[in-house]
Amino acid sequence: MTRIGAGYHTVEERLRTLEERVEEQTRTIDELRNRDALKTQFLSNVSHDLRTPLTAIVTHAEILRDGILGDLSPKQLESICGIISGGRQLIGMVGEILMYARGAADQLSLTPTEFAIGTVIEQVTSQVEPLAVKKGLEIGVDVEKDMPPLCADREKITHILSNLLGNAIDFTEHGGRVWVNASRTTTVQSAASVLIEVGDTGIGIAPEHHELVFREFAQVDASASRHHHGTGLGLAIARKFVELHDGRIWVESAPGVGSRFYFTVPVHASC
Amino acid sequence: MGAHILIVEDSALVVSALRILLEDAGHRVSDAGSVRAALDIARSDRPEVMLLDLALPDGDGLSVLETLSNDGLAPRVTVAVTGRDEPHIIARCKRLGCREVLVKPIRAMALPTQVAEWLAE
Repeated sequence: MTRIGAGYHTVEERLRTLEERVEEQTRTIDELRNRDALKTQFLSNVSHDLRTPLTAIVTHAEILRDGILGDLSPKQLESICGIISGGRQLIGMVGEILMYARGAADQLSLTPTEFAIGTVIEQVTSQVEPLAVKKGLEIGVDVEKDMPPLCADREKITHILSNLLGNAIDFTEHGGRVWVNASRTTTVQSAASVLIEVGDTGIGIAPEHHELVFREFAQVDASASRHHHGTGLGLAIARKFVELHDGRIWVESAPGVGSRFYFTVPVHASC
Repeated sequence: MGAHILIVEDSALVVSALRILLEDAGHRVSDAGSVRAALDIARSDRPEVMLLDLALPDGDGLSVLETLSNDGLAPRVTVAVTGRDEPHIIARCKRLGCREVLVKPIRAMALPTQVAEWLAE
């Protein structure tokens, strides 16, 4: 007989109790995993279902905007454009939730093609330029000469750049500057990689939050997040996409100084 | 000369938007909100273009194309319209003969131009 705790138990009895506890904990973990999977599936289903009415709202508004059903007054046109812009913002958010759900369910994969990173940077920059101009921001691009073609998932690289550049514009006040630079580099994972920097002269991020911003649902500053809107998933998705390519993403920033987000992608990430 | 376009979609909101756009481009538009209704219309008035939603209340949208193909009544162009863009779903659409797969939210304003291109091929 061995004295354990308050009473007398045999080693066998104590072992049995421990085994029962382990079994119970395992059951609880399994149940939590199942519930998490159900929640992810629910998010995915809802996101899919939201796409249909959102398509209808935006399309009906575009029909009116383009005068297919008759001319509009300038104020009516402005109002319709507001509906389209809000609808597109919602579509973007639904897309992010869907992407998150897929990432959580390990359903993300790469569709690699060969492309010039400079072309993708140019496309993304021209898409966000009107927003930057509207905010009175200067936008700069610097791509190193003779960059090798990148073999990667073009859509996902575009998504990462759009997200980083969109954030840079969102979090930079009037008169500031945002930029995208691309150059060659080497990393532990790959001798030949591309390093992309998206920088801004915006509000910046405190060093203790540099890791947090890449976590799902992270809101470093609740007031700033509310002001700038969004799902809080953008950077978490960007990190997932970078890591799928065996790359790395990080931020260097300080409050009031601005932020520089960097990510690397091996030149032959997926080919 | 406009074509006969069948929109197979169970969202009346989406159908009404697409109908306005396609009729404005000079096409004749029919719509069906279920597999059964789609087969009925396609058999009695064969469309040249079918825009096919994959999730219908009474079954899989692709079964419409499959059945019509088996009967030798497939439209000249069938385009899948879906909220799901998983590679295996897109591959299945292509395998069954869809000309293209449009993922929602689709760029509907570009649809009249796309229809003209499909019909010109």
